Amino acid sequence: MLAGALLLIFLSPLVAQDLCKDSKDGFKVRLSIKTALGNDAYEWNESEMFLFRSTVAYAMRKQTKQDTYDITNILVCNDTQRVSFVFVVTSPDDPANMIPKAEVEKAVRLNKHRINSAFLLSDMTLEFVGIPPTLEAPITYETQPWLIVFGVVIGAVAIGIVALLMSTASKKRRAKENAAGLSEEDEGIVKENGTALSGLGGREGVFNQAFSNDDRFTQL
Amino acid sequence: MSKEARPSWDSPMQFVLACVSYAVGLGNVWRFPYLCQMHGGGGFLIPYLLMLVLEGIPLFCMELAIGQKMRLGSIGAWTAISPYLGGLGIASVVTSMYLCLYYNVINAWSFWYLFHSFQSVLPWAECPINTNRTGYLEECEVASPTQYFFYRETLNISSSIDENGGIHMGQALCLLLAWIIVYLFIVRGVKSTGMVVYFTATFPYVVLIIYLIRGVTLHGAWNGVKYMFTPKLEQLANPQTWINAATQIFFSLGLGFGSLIAFASYNHHNNNFERQAVAVSLINSGTSVFASVVTFAIYGFKATFNYESCLERMRLLMLNTFDLSEETISAENVTEWIHHLNVTYPEKFASIASKIEDCSLQAELDTAVEGTGLAFIVYSEAIKNMPLSQLWSVLYFVMLLLLGMGSMLGNVTAIITPLGDIKFLSRTLSNETINGLVCLLCLLLGFGFTSRSGNYWFTIFNEYAATLSLLFIVFIEVVSVCYVYGLRRFEKDIEDMLGHRPNWYWKVMWAAISPLLLFSLFIFYIINYIQGGTPTYQAWDKNLGKSVVQEYPVYGQAFIALLLASSLSCVPLAALYAACRKKQRGTSLRQHAVNTVTSTV
Repeated sequence: MLAGALLLIFLSPLVAQDLCKDSKDGFKVRLSIKTALGNDAYEWNESEMFLFRSTVAYAMRKQTKQDTYDITNILVCNDTQRVSFVFVVTSPDDPANMIPKAEVEKAVRLNKHRINSAFLLSDMTLEFVGIPPTLEAPITYETQPWLIVFGVVIGAVAIGIVALLMSTASKKRRAKENAAGLSEEDEGIVKENGTALSGLGGREGVFNQAFSNDDRFTQL
Repeated sequence: MSKEARPSWDSPMQFVLACVSYAVGLGNVWRFPYLCQMHGGGGFLIPYLLMLVLEGIPLFCMELAIGQKMRLGSIGAWTAISPYLGGLGIASVVTSMYLCLYYNVINAWSFWYLFHSFQSVLPWAECPINTNRTGYLEECEVASPTQYFFYRETLNISSSIDENGGIHMGQALCLLLAWIIVYLFIVRGVKSTGMVVYFTATFPYVVLIIYLIRGVTLHGAWNGVKYMFTPKLEQLANPQTWINAATQIFFSLGLGFGSLIAFASYNHHNNNFERQAVAVSLINSGTSVFASVVTFAIYGFKATFNYESCLERMRLLMLNTFDLSEETISAENVTEWIHHLNVTYPEKFASIASKIEDCSLQAELDTAVEGTGLAFIVYSEAIKNMPLSQLWSVLYFVMLLLLGMGSMLGNVTAIITPLGDIKFLSRTLSNETINGLVCLLCLLLGFGFTSRSGNYWFTIFNEYAATLSLLFIVFIEVVSVCYVYGLRRFEKDIEDMLGHRPNWYWKVMWAAISPLLLFSLFIFYIINYIQGGTPTYQAWDKNLGKSVVQEYPVYGQAFIALLLASSLSCVPLAALYAACRKKQRGTSLRQHAVNTVTSTV
């Protein structure tokens, strides 16, 4: 009887390992702890594995709403230095039966953010190979922000143009009134073919070097 | 007879700033760094500066002299030089019109990017998510987020020039805004333009300095700057280098559009344009070199970022495939590990061989881009990786806008000045109305560039509308000033304005060297067109996520021919018209020309 009990004790993990290794319903998991946390990285050991198995059990519980899932239902194998391994989930009612891949995938997808935060990792650094991460919904705006900025700018420019045109119009009106009232004084202003000199505003003129009394020409 | 005085700049400084604002444009930022990279880095400066001295400065000075002497826009000025040459002015106006049509579309894109920078996450930083939230949109996956944002969200580009689509509303709105702002700047002619150029000429330098400081402090920027300044002198033996240097100087200074003639026509008679021409040309070239230092710093940052991402991807691939602990492979020894693992586990290595990338910093730096691709794709990719990317994005696109708007000022002035000189128009309509009508016409025609195939039509205009015709126009300009008008007469006019005759440098350049250079460039372009076969363009393929080469359809080629013919033919047609009128009216035409020349003294 003792031999039988001993056989059972040694056989069950072996059987469990076989279930895990041979299974097609398993998922490969990969953790990149050092990449994510750098100097604050924790050591991967048995306790961390224990935590992992309990989070997956928790995910299965939430998904199937059965409180019977336990940590013994989560089997792990192919542990490597990379910190990657394969896990399978067995049914709580029948430990020889495995939960199909699709069920496990659904459970993990729904609770990914809880599993991530348990390990201080993200979707990039805690990978379930074969389960794509659910991306965050894009931010939708009621009014596009660019339209708001556009509206402000075009409003300012429109005001600028209207102001300019109005000031031009009022200047012209004032000039017309002045011209009507002061037409006798026009003859006093010298208009020289509308060239640069009239733009000088009444100065004496511009010194033109070509006509200067340059000494080097007059000395003999 | 009392005529309204011709408006003039408030000070010579306004004129200089207007010329700087016009000449320093987008080409300094996105064409010169590309040429530098293609033709041997620092070594390219040798042909560039040589061409500046041989053709840039003399031709610039000549156009300013003509404008300042004749005090008319391009049509009036060339009619005054010789009544048979009015077509030269008309050709300039037509070319300026084409340029105005498509250049403001670039400003519209800059506005679009500027307005989209005011978001918490820059829209070109990440791909949009597909409908069932399992991954990113396919087109964005094969291309990159910045390319997707430019080709899909900004342009909504179709896959070839044949497929038209609707007008992109956002683009149309931005184009409307761009034209309204241009109108605001030119509505009162030089009075309003003169105020604006203080800002448009100086603020881009402020942004460039800020970017220089930011750029050289980025990680890996030094790789880019070192790459640029390492001269590869063997490129000097390549004739293409010299041709590109000559064309870059020529187009960068904006000769032949009539803008310089228009700007100079508002000068006082004795303004020292000679000194100003040298100053503006040197400032333009200096800005090109300065902008390329900034560009290469950014290139270096982007190349280093991509290189390090590539190394990280390879490291992860090795770790995941061979299940090694994370500490074994670091970024430095990835390549050694790849080699080691290839030797030790050849079968396993072969299974992932397709995913292995060759990470090379040199290859990243060698990818040379120019034009809108550089400004809107490469730069925005670099900006999204900088900390505080929204701020840098806003600064960068404001700078692009100022450069583009400053050049637009010159382009539109080149059209409205000759139009304002036409007595018939200026008597019936006020200046503001003429300016408004020109802007409205350009806006309505410009809406064609905002359709789905608009970018392909933009490329046609960009490559053909203002290249060959300008070379022809300026060649005829310099030949007619020296030989039709007479170099001696021109010398006397300059002495009249400046007080001294131009020295031998100017005379040799104007009479011999510049025309020779221009003629050879013109012939080279024609040979290139003929040898190149059917003209092709880059069409965006949304399934491959990159541009593919396609030939223009028949109507596209016909349109190109029409573009070239419409500006080139103005010169002979107008000369023919003048000859016919002269035969009809006898000597009265010659009398009219003499009056115009002497009365502008």
